[in-house]
Amino acid sequence: MNAIVQIPSTADAGRRAAGLQPAISVNRLNKFYGSFHALRDIDFQVAQGEIVVLCGPSGSGKSSLIRCINHLERHDSGSIHVNGMELTRKASDVARVRRQLGMVFQSFNLFPHMTVLDNCTFALRRALRMPAAQAEALAREYLAKVNVANQADKYPAGLSGGQQQRVAIARALCLKPSIMLFDEPTSALDPESVGSVLRIMEELAATGITMVCVTHEMGFARRVAHRCVFMENGAIVEDAHSAEFFRNPRSDRLKGFLAQVL
Amino acid sequence: MPQMGFVEQLGIGALMTIQVAVLSYLLALAIGTVFALATLKRRLPVDVIWQTYASIFTGVPSLLVAFLFYYAGSGMIASLFSLVGLSVTVDVSPFAAAVAALGMVYGAYLADIIRSAIQNVPPGQFEAARVLLVPRPTAWLFVILPQVLRLALPAMTNMWIVVLKDTALISLIGLKEIMAYAKLASGVTKEPFIYYMLASVFFLGMTALTYVVSQRIEQWTQRGYRPVAAKERAHAL
Amino acid sequence: MHYDPILAWQSMPDLLAGTATTFAVLLPVLVLGLLLALPIALARLETGPKAKAAAGYIAFFRGVPSLVLLYLVYSGLPQLSIVRDTFLWTFFSNAYFCAWVGLTLTHSGYMAEIIRGGLAAVPTGVIEASTALGLTPRQTLFRLRLPMAARYVLKAYQNELLIMVKSTSAVSAITLVDLTAAANTVFDYTYDPFTPLVTAAAIYWCIVNLMRTGFTLADRKLNRHLART
Repeated sequence: MNAIVQIPSTADAGRRAAGLQPAISVNRLNKFYGSFHALRDIDFQVAQGEIVVLCGPSGSGKSSLIRCINHLERHDSGSIHVNGMELTRKASDVARVRRQLGMVFQSFNLFPHMTVLDNCTFALRRALRMPAAQAEALAREYLAKVNVANQADKYPAGLSGGQQQRVAIARALCLKPSIMLFDEPTSALDPESVGSVLRIMEELAATGITMVCVTHEMGFARRVAHRCVFMENGAIVEDAHSAEFFRNPRSDRLKGFLAQVL
Repeated sequence: MPQMGFVEQLGIGALMTIQVAVLSYLLALAIGTVFALATLKRRLPVDVIWQTYASIFTGVPSLLVAFLFYYAGSGMIASLFSLVGLSVTVDVSPFAAAVAALGMVYGAYLADIIRSAIQNVPPGQFEAARVLLVPRPTAWLFVILPQVLRLALPAMTNMWIVVLKDTALISLIGLKEIMAYAKLASGVTKEPFIYYMLASVFFLGMTALTYVVSQRIEQWTQRGYRPVAAKERAHAL
Repeated sequence: MHYDPILAWQSMPDLLAGTATTFAVLLPVLVLGLLLALPIALARLETGPKAKAAAGYIAFFRGVPSLVLLYLVYSGLPQLSIVRDTFLWTFFSNAYFCAWVGLTLTHSGYMAEIIRGGLAAVPTGVIEASTALGLTPRQTLFRLRLPMAARYVLKAYQNELLIMVKSTSAVSAITLVDLTAAANTVFDYTYDPFTPLVTAAAIYWCIVNLMRTGFTLADRKLNRHLART
């Protein structure tokens, strides 16, 4: 299997930080929705180049956690550092942190009125002010790497779910993030499409990029993840190397969960 | 038979009708957009202003609003300015009264249409733009607006036809548009039937034209929603 | 510019008489428009020339402003000798009658489209089930399709009704002294435009909002079966 991406030369700050400090560092994080305590005192570290899978029953807070990391949700207390930069409510901090992060959503969230190519070049041109030709070349490069090069001029609705999700991955990679966040990337897909997306994610993992994936795909977790984290009721219940995680689950809750999903 | 001179006048009146309708609609769009954006999130003071505005302007006939603006408009403006110690005299023409009345009445309706269209754009679209670092104004312009247009277009088209037809009614405040000329021609020639039929034909024609144009715009806003490939861009490369 | 409550009070009899005229125009129009709309909506759902004619009717009366129709009926038709020289003149020389005809035509065009939409929204499965149970097409229409359609279109009907209330202000153009015209009359002899027009607006506002409230209650009652228990 050939590596699909040269490790993306990420934003300078992230580059300098690499190897010196954790890619993501979450400390005593709390998040409420009204009176519902969605995240309880979360401590969560991700090292540079590490592949971490977050799993747990629905409503356990795993999606909330990665949505807090890129500030799609505000946390109420605790701290989040990404490549050493603290995520505060200041717009400039949020932008700096997001510059490090690529995000892939469960429902793809492609822009339906733009072609696949325009979806990928949009942020390059409008956010990074990259010249059109350069943006297009870059977008086509990444579209080729996720095997949808021949769909570049179609609209998202003309693509299968798996193709759309791969476009979404390419769109995120175009901005050359140092960390990729995946929020249940295969949950909205039909079984045939799941494989094609997981394959791309595996290839991506092999490039050494840091990845945090919320997923129910335990096969993927076992094969690819360095570490697995099990969450329930807004708290981290178990956090272990993936081999250990599957072979020796310590808590009964995780045993029950694995029995269900495996 | 209609006399050419009167038909010509009817044409001039028709142009005035279109002018009033277009300006009213643009004003309504501006008012509607401002209210739609201001009321996206529920905030008490804005909400109270909006509810009051909508309640008044959807609860009263547009003709009455136009009469009020025409006859009492200059007085209302004068007393508004006197609050800040200025003495201002403005003459309100039938044209200005008509545009203000129609714009303010239909702005209330358009605000609802636009707001619900914005709310029906999936939240993921906003989120995707945010994580891609797209600046907010850019995201609104290039990501949200095209999708809002797609959702709101049918209702906005209907509203345009309503505004156009209401312009005829507003002629009663003394606007020299198609109905006024049709009435004039009817009085002089004693042949009202033909001139009112001509006016009908004008409005039917405008409705048909609206339909054709809106179909075109709709096709454009619907791009990408049917699974067809975009035009081959390969040639352009 | 200020509001003169004493003048408002003094002009109340005139304005209420205008309100009565507004209702005298409105109520027959609502009944006749609905009755006329039903067969047109049914014809629109068929195929062939009947459907085409119905579609033309709907397009015409929705496309032409009600003021144009009022003028056509009130001063256009009497130009034709069949109207002027026969018994029809008894009717068409009456401004009320012309107002009823003109507004009924507009209202029926809109109502036909609303009813058509409601009937088209009734799931075909319901009609098939009813036929399978041996109900006649007539029974299916009156017992099932129309009652179901009525529920679907309640919201659209409410909007149309409120629009009709406000549309009646056009009848002042054919000499009827409705609420809008009454306010203008008061203005004519007091030289105060603000007070009578604002008072009339307030009366319209009350009528419209009373109807809105009524509809909210009716909606709750009709859609009881959808409420969570």
